[in-house]
Amino acid sequence: MRTILTIAKWEVLRLRSRFGGKSRVVILPVILLAIVLSFTIYHQDFSFSKGIYTIGIESGSLIIGDARFKAIVLDQETGRQQLANKKIDLYLYGNTVLMRNDDRSQYAAGSLKKYLENRELNRIAAQYTLDKAFPLRIVISYPDSPELETEGRLAEAFSSDLRSPDTSDAMAEENILPFDQSVNGVSESSENYPSINAAPGETNSGVSEPFTGTSIYDAAVSSQLEKWQTGGQLPEFKAQFTSENEIIIPSLMTPPMPLAQVILAFLYVIPMFFISVFFTSSFTEEKTNRKLVILLSSPVTRLQVIFGKMLPYYIYSLLAITGVTIILGGNVFLALAIFLPVMLFVFAIYLMVALTYRTFKDQTFFSVLALSVITVYLVVPAMFAGVSNLSYASPLTLAVQMFRGESFTLGQYLIGTIPLYLVFFLAMYIGRQVFTEEFLMGFKPLRIKAVEAIYLAINKQHLNYSIFILSILLIPMVFAAQLVAIVIVSNLPVQAILLVLMVVSIVIEEIAKSAGIYALIRFRTIAGLKQIVVLAGLSALGFWAGEKLLVLLAASIGADSGPAAIFLGSGLKGGWMLVVPLVLHFITTLLLSYIASFKVKRAYILGILSGTVAHSIYNFAVLYITGAIR
Amino acid sequence: MKKFWILLKRELTAITREKTIMFAIMIQFVIASLSTILLTGIMAFYDPSSISQNTNARIRVGLVHESPTPMINYLAENGIRVNMYPDMPAAREAFSSGRLDAVMLIPVARSGVVDMQLILPALDTSQTVVLMMLQEPLKKFENYLRAANGIKVNYANLGGKPGNSYEFLYTLIIPILMLFPALITGSIIIDTISEEFQNKTFETLLASPISISQIFNAKLAAAVFTALGQVVLWVVLLRFNGTIIDNPLMVILMAVMSAAVIAFIAAFTALYFKDRERSQFIYSLILVVVVTGSYFLDLSPVSIISTLASGSGFNNLAALFVYPALLVILGPLFFIFSRRLVYRRN
Repeated sequence: MRTILTIAKWEVLRLRSRFGGKSRVVILPVILLAIVLSFTIYHQDFSFSKGIYTIGIESGSLIIGDARFKAIVLDQETGRQQLANKKIDLYLYGNTVLMRNDDRSQYAAGSLKKYLENRELNRIAAQYTLDKAFPLRIVISYPDSPELETEGRLAEAFSSDLRSPDTSDAMAEENILPFDQSVNGVSESSENYPSINAAPGETNSGVSEPFTGTSIYDAAVSSQLEKWQTGGQLPEFKAQFTSENEIIIPSLMTPPMPLAQVILAFLYVIPMFFISVFFTSSFTEEKTNRKLVILLSSPVTRLQVIFGKMLPYYIYSLLAITGVTIILGGNVFLALAIFLPVMLFVFAIYLMVALTYRTFKDQTFFSVLALSVITVYLVVPAMFAGVSNLSYASPLTLAVQMFRGESFTLGQYLIGTIPLYLVFFLAMYIGRQVFTEEFLMGFKPLRIKAVEAIYLAINKQHLNYSIFILSILLIPMVFAAQLVAIVIVSNLPVQAILLVLMVVSIVIEEIAKSAGIYALIRFRTIAGLKQIVVLAGLSALGFWAGEKLLVLLAASIGADSGPAAIFLGSGLKGGWMLVVPLVLHFITTLLLSYIASFKVKRAYILGILSGTVAHSIYNFAVLYITGAIR
Repeated sequence: MKKFWILLKRELTAITREKTIMFAIMIQFVIASLSTILLTGIMAFYDPSSISQNTNARIRVGLVHESPTPMINYLAENGIRVNMYPDMPAAREAFSSGRLDAVMLIPVARSGVVDMQLILPALDTSQTVVLMMLQEPLKKFENYLRAANGIKVNYANLGGKPGNSYEFLYTLIIPILMLFPALITGSIIIDTISEEFQNKTFETLLASPISISQIFNAKLAAAVFTALGQVVLWVVLLRFNGTIIDNPLMVILMAVMSAAVIAFIAAFTALYFKDRERSQFIYSLILVVVVTGSYFLDLSPVSIISTLASGSGFNNLAALFVYPALLVILGPLFFIFSRRLVYRRN
């Protein structure tokens, strides 16, 4: 401990000498300016799309207070002319808006409509009493029995690209509209319907609410109205329609916006990124000028060096987390509990970057790539906060809940953070193992370096245990890689997404399961089929066990959604399904490893290909048997 | 001139070695994709019709009501199937057997207020989806009730299409893709310059018969060339993706000029501090200042690129002169001060 502190102290001194003296004169004003500017923008009506549309307005018409619109005063004739000449996108006079038929003008009209709708709502809310302005209140209730079939139908509808289109029609058996009006006849006027106020008093349709003149839900309406009017400026940490209140006012429905999650992610991750740049710079510098190697020859352990060099940056990051939380008005203790593992995860990845790369340029690129991967890992699952329990895969969801003033359970905390802790421990362990002069100073391609790192991480006395544990520890990495794959694959056409995603997920899984064995083969530690069979079995067992553990954890917090099946591999349900995946993992890993041991060029790639093909065949078979595809 | 090409080649090989540039492109790809995913999410919540377009999801609602109600039409207009039930138990029955996604009970209004009952699936996911798809019909019904109360809602049927994705694409995604290479340019410059100082290779370079300005010429040119390559790549890739950038040449020119301006800023920073830690840190801070500051200007690269790319009547020609002018000033300034900064001791 003492040694770690000493190394940490040196690190702080080094950093301080860098930022002391004259450089402070430059740095402080720049920091100040950045803060002032960000603050000003934050308090402005911030809009990304400032001035994207141009609108012509007759003088005396309304003023448009939306930054997206650049308004020009034009008389009617010029307005029409300019609209036709595409000089302006819309023309407004009185209560009439003129538009063209092209996309641009239509989009402008759509945006204008949204803006005017809000404006109207404010006017109505100010002019009329609550029950006149908001006459429709919707009381939400949920049935006690879980609607498995409904869910099934919806899920099926969403994956309809794998399904023939006529099944949905088969469901349309019963009485559709025994009603005398044509459904398609769009009628804007309300004349066709009896006046509401004139309706008779008796109700015989099972309404249980007693009606006493005004609605009993006025309180809910006014509180939602207030929220709606004050909201929109600050990031709203609310991601679902019906959280605390089960009463909905249609025009005040705020759509669940994943924006708050993104803002949160950046507010917490960017400071860590800044701090980690100092760490990687310092580490690389001492690596190139061989100070680290000298340190290695002194009576300190490698882990002490790593921890000592990282400790100051941990502390800075924790301070940053605390600061951000205090500014946002959150619970500091909870925020630290949530973001400590995130911080460890970030530094684990940056430690790997610093250990592997020797030039600053490579480091910069890899650091930014790591930053975007981390952001994806945190943001993508959190987008579903309040929509699906799957969102607990990201600790960001917990942060969103914390800022909303909601509580979360220990199970929810664990499922989001355990993978991060695991990655941290894995990185620390690998870091310790590869912290040798040869690895640090070697110039080799990334692929070779990765294999070398894994080889060094494996305990040669206990090959079996090592391979088993490695498989488990790599699962969070697999998860992260699969999330990034989802993000990238989303660019493809809808029909291809699921298919490509499945194949890519399989490739990632197969690489993870075989990485250890391949490293051993490459460094000629093992040879012969017998040893490969044993290790393949253990690797498969480790992966399977970790996977099932995740499924159990997911089930314990009640993760409901189908997408879980994509992440966690096939076979979420059923008894016999429990053993089959294990056998599958074993077969594919064995096949892959065996082919990789051939003494031909690109044997490993060949192995991955064959493992992927085998795994894919299995997956398609399962999908076919369970009836997901026909 | 020959020396310049040799140096340029040296710098470009350094950038393309280890496939670092591949990382850069991958980063941009991940960022763009993530933004698109976020956009799709946001879009879905704003515009429920996009869900049904993208997924063929059709929901079926059971309706219990007394007198004829326009709600039926509103639901049908939004592509929702409607089943009618005489009373609540029958509807509940159908709901629990899974034939319905929601049940709506519309009681007869008294004094103009309707307290509708809505039964939704218990599962979070389906709940949100169903509610999103019901949002538009419910709003229409609300306006109908308002009309019955004597409140006229203006602009309710203005028409147009939801412009979120359009705005997002042209004011965020395309500027990000066009300007991210510029940010990377700055980072590359800082890395190559501070590396030469920290590895003490700069002294060797100075000993060779190459002038200081030739060295920096090559470094800056290499980085700006890389930016140009990426920007052109994005314009082509976006075209394949069906996204057309108007005024492509102007957009590319604007992006490259931004990269050049940033390159000078980065080079100044790196020469001043001579180590990576401080240079990268200050460079990032300066970027924050420049990016946030430019938000207030109509001349910011982001707004110029988005107006150019979206093909909206671009009438701000002055903007296109500001950046060349800036470069004309920065270039000579840099070459005057670079020599002094190189020999400056920290």
